[in-house]
Amino acid sequence: MAVRRRSLAPAEMGLRYGPVVLAAAVFALPIFWLLVTSLKRQSEYASSLLPSALEWANYALAVELANFVHFATNSLILSTTYAVLAVFVSALVGYGFARHRAPGHSKLFVLVIATWMVPNLVLFVPQFVLFARLGLTDTYWPWILWGLSGSPFAIFLFRQFFATFPRELDDAAEVDGAGPLRIFLQIYLPNAGPAIAASAIFMFLWVWGDWLYPALLLRQDNATLAVRMANAYVDPHGNPLQTVTMAGVVLYVLPLIVFFAFAQRYIVRGIVTTGIKG
Amino acid sequence: MAGATHVLPRAWPRTTAWRRRGFRRAVTFYLLISPWLLGFVLLGAVPLAGAFVMSFTNYDGLNLDYVRFVGTDNYARAFGDSDAQYALGRTLLLMAVVVPVGLALQLALALMVNQPIRFSNVFRTIFYLPYVIPVVAAVWIWKIFVDPTGGLVNAAAGAVFPEANWRLLVEYPTAVLAVLTIWGAAGGGMVVFLAGLQGIPAEYREAAMIDGASRAQVTRYITLPLLTPVIFFNLVTGIIVALQILVQPMLLSPGILGLNPGTVPPRDNYLYAVHAYIEIFTKQLFGYGSALLWLLFAVVLGLTLLLFKTSRRWVFYGVEP
Repeated sequence: MAVRRRSLAPAEMGLRYGPVVLAAAVFALPIFWLLVTSLKRQSEYASSLLPSALEWANYALAVELANFVHFATNSLILSTTYAVLAVFVSALVGYGFARHRAPGHSKLFVLVIATWMVPNLVLFVPQFVLFARLGLTDTYWPWILWGLSGSPFAIFLFRQFFATFPRELDDAAEVDGAGPLRIFLQIYLPNAGPAIAASAIFMFLWVWGDWLYPALLLRQDNATLAVRMANAYVDPHGNPLQTVTMAGVVLYVLPLIVFFAFAQRYIVRGIVTTGIKG
Repeated sequence: MAGATHVLPRAWPRTTAWRRRGFRRAVTFYLLISPWLLGFVLLGAVPLAGAFVMSFTNYDGLNLDYVRFVGTDNYARAFGDSDAQYALGRTLLLMAVVVPVGLALQLALALMVNQPIRFSNVFRTIFYLPYVIPVVAAVWIWKIFVDPTGGLVNAAAGAVFPEANWRLLVEYPTAVLAVLTIWGAAGGGMVVFLAGLQGIPAEYREAAMIDGASRAQVTRYITLPLLTPVIFFNLVTGIIVALQILVQPMLLSPGILGLNPGTVPPRDNYLYAVHAYIEIFTKQLFGYGSALLWLLFAVVLGLTLLLFKTSRRWVFYGVEP
């Protein structure tokens, strides 16, 4: 392939690279504009296309004005708690589905997939009523309960992943007197690295990025960064500060981008593992 | 298993041993899946049953003292609700644009980055990035991008047509919403297509090439048919997601740049889920809103089943690797 690549005719090079470069430029342009705007002085927001000097002070202002650290901590606690619980429970349940049989096994697995299909809002509205009745609104309990019941997507992913493990491992461990829980903790879980990484990233991202549930379930002060970022930064007269807002958005998104740059291969592998191809 | 032991004549000790073992295995299985099962019952089945009952009442979300059954009034009202009909129309229109265009784009991106090109990882990351960006950030990015005063779209338009002052969010809010949605979802679909493409054995394509097929013919007659299960998957999930779009139009509402996230979106972006959200959380009509949501569920289910029916004609499941 390397030899062929060097000998490509210019026309073929253009055909192969032209569309993909163009598409990448179009995709990246709004993000590029986010960065550019975040570095403009507010006074030149409307008047000049590019910043005359890089206004890093926007970032300091974005942190200060929004009480950024407080809300970022809330987001971090909530996302991590949910991700850890959901990944562990989903791995356990996925192991159960992959390695243990009982009457009702396949019907229950169909149910796991079916819950994936129910529209979010249909499920959330009665959950909201339930949480309100139980006095769990304004607390992080809903996320803990969601985490403790696992995620259909992650259960499916772990089931598919564990189904590829050789059964001899179980047999050997069983001969040594290990119970199912020990087999799970000492053999399956430590060897599930890619599935853990892929599902943890998605679970973390879901809470970090979600706006609807924290906006409806939490108070202004214990809500997540997503809720805080939905409001614009304004100056004392109530005028919007677009440049500072963009700096805040960059800071809000940055951890995810760094995270994903490192985890890209796990994500692809995770999707391949679920065997969506059918 | 248990049934078989009844039929076959066996010595009783072995039967009980079998039964005991089967019982223990069943207990193990149910213990292992118990967290999910418990969650499914308490956070899934019970609330859903509650929501179904709720849709036949006048529940206001506050107290139960005034709750009474109103029969099918909520459903009858939904069918006569001109706002709901309008919103459903807008939602179906958005879906009719976003799903096919999005699907074609995802497939094109996957085909492009699946070629032997340099920096294909960089391209993949760029296309995937918007999928990772949370909805609040994505909405901000597009609000500023199309902003009449500081946006790049207007600056570029101004360079070509002086005096251009496009207020896209006010005049064409659905177009902005559609582009935002397609941009945000492209990477997720692309990765699924990529996984599908990499599951197609290279020999098939090579064999066709040797037989003299052009690259376009290979794509059309080898790759696409083998990819139909993935196309089907992305189509179904795309439709399910598109029918429920809620947060983007809410946050995209004008006002002082989202200062008030509870504001109603412009009429063009008044989607079905937005209507249900407003009936429930703004007007406190939990009973009526639940009925609206069950009708949405019925539409989602109906469309999904319809697609599964047609899938026999065009989805190709023939290949065993």
